[in-house]
Amino acid sequence: MTANLSQEVIDLLNDPETTKVLATVDTAGEPHAVVKQSLHLGEDGNIHYLERIESSTTNRNLVRSIWFDGSVAISLTGRNGRTVQIKGKPIKIHVSGPLFLDHYNRLRATLGDSDLAGVWVIEPERVIDQALETRRAIEAEKHPHFIHLDRLARH
Amino acid sequence: MPIALRQKFRDEPSFDEVTAQHPRFPRLVARKIDVQRRGVHYSKRALEAVDPTRHQIYTWENVNYPHSLLLRDGGTILVIPQPEERDPYVVDFIDERFMLLDAGQAVEEVEIWPKPKYYDKKTSSGRLMREVVSARPQRLDVFVTSFCHFFHVDDQGCKFCSLPYHHRQLRSENGLPTRLQASDIRECIVEALKEPGRFANIHITGGSIVKGVEVLDMEVDYYISLLQAIGEAFEAPRFPSQLLATAFNERQLTRLREQTGLGSFTADIEVLNEDLFNWICPGKAQWVGYREWQNRLIRAVDIFGKGNVGTGIVGGVETAAPNGFRTESDALRATLDEAEYLAQNGVTTVHTVWAPQIGSQFYHLKAPSLDYFIRLARGLQDIREKYGLSADFDDFRRCGNHPDTDLARLQ
Repeated sequence: MTANLSQEVIDLLNDPETTKVLATVDTAGEPHAVVKQSLHLGEDGNIHYLERIESSTTNRNLVRSIWFDGSVAISLTGRNGRTVQIKGKPIKIHVSGPLFLDHYNRLRATLGDSDLAGVWVIEPERVIDQALETRRAIEAEKHPHFIHLDRLARH
Repeated sequence: MPIALRQKFRDEPSFDEVTAQHPRFPRLVARKIDVQRRGVHYSKRALEAVDPTRHQIYTWENVNYPHSLLLRDGGTILVIPQPEERDPYVVDFIDERFMLLDAGQAVEEVEIWPKPKYYDKKTSSGRLMREVVSARPQRLDVFVTSFCHFFHVDDQGCKFCSLPYHHRQLRSENGLPTRLQASDIRECIVEALKEPGRFANIHITGGSIVKGVEVLDMEVDYYISLLQAIGEAFEAPRFPSQLLATAFNERQLTRLREQTGLGSFTADIEVLNEDLFNWICPGKAQWVGYREWQNRLIRAVDIFGKGNVGTGIVGGVETAAPNGFRTESDALRATLDEAEYLAQNGVTTVHTVWAPQIGSQFYHLKAPSLDYFIRLARGLQDIREKYGLSADFDDFRRCGNHPDTDLARLQ
């Protein structure tokens, strides 16, 4: 169930000014949401994430997701306030090979002494427009009863 | 392969039926176990798709095979080719991807291990570097000597071990020396370290050498000289490394720790039952003994520290006929009980998947069921968690040959 990302979402994803949050869950269902600016569009059309700490909670949760078909959520908030959420599934991690080494070398060239545990590949399954007005319009149509009466009162 | 022929060799529940009984065990790790247990057969298409400039090649029974496989979770499958009549998985090349096939069905995408750049270079002595130091996806492997006193002198080699047979082939084909030179190894390590991000661990191992003032002193001396040579390649006094050797005494272990930059110590006990150890590993039994092997591992914890000492077992060999456990449940209980005793004393136990190999005394036997290996892997990892032990030096990245330490990725 791969979702094609629109050019607008791709631009948002690849903009370094966008705030990018990756949310994962652990075995007990405890959520873990962390800003991960390395999220970007890979050449394969999937979202790639550079995991720099092998023993991190995010990495552990991603392993759990790839093993047990779990999902992750990515929240993107652009410089103009534009915000979308992407639901997806980790489908692969590169721990060696050309893609891994390219990122490893680039990280060290730009950040100095740093390490790379792996390049996670997240297949996007659903893109949700999180703009309040958009969300409100969609939900109002689906749930007309969900409204306070004073908003409908004659003034 | 015809179903009838498969069932003739192995009449057992399917992969899906077995994994359905273990919903909390990762299917990818179960798949790795099953591939190791049954082996692989490479299709003609797959062999033609292997690119020697990008992929590692491995010679087995005078045939060049890709060496070895990577799963999409980053896990490694070290796997030996098996003849078709032994019901192996098939590795095929379909739609530009290497795929694992079980009974004709594509079940998982795999990659071939990437080839490091140093492989085609030569040491100053003229030896091809890939023949001195081999590579896993993130590990450097130094197999320092193909000589094993237990096998070559006493005719008491471990009954599951095919390495002497295999090394004899390599020596005759490639002119490999019985014993590697420290300078050759150091040059290879230096060259490998020029590939940033490529390696995270150095693994050193070899056959047992009993000679010396004290038994095994010569083996210790040799390792110290090699580790000191390797250490010259590092600024840090200690570097991520694993020595897999014979169980040394306290004095020998102290020398290793104090005179080298070695990071961890492993001495494989192979099977966790004294009677079976005596039968399967007669050389180890004669020169060290089962209880002394355990005691030496425990004493190594005081020297190398908790979390830095391990032992390996050839998982499943405890069921080998005719002397092995008659039932898998008995084998599992006995093995985990002994592993727990070691864990209580700071020693972590890891297992490989026994796949009877040509050249070993046990080649005619069959490995136990997938269900058994799943329970064994889960049991060993549960013990590790219970006693707060890690397997960082021997995990999915720094080794890749232990399904139980794959599970430690969630620990």
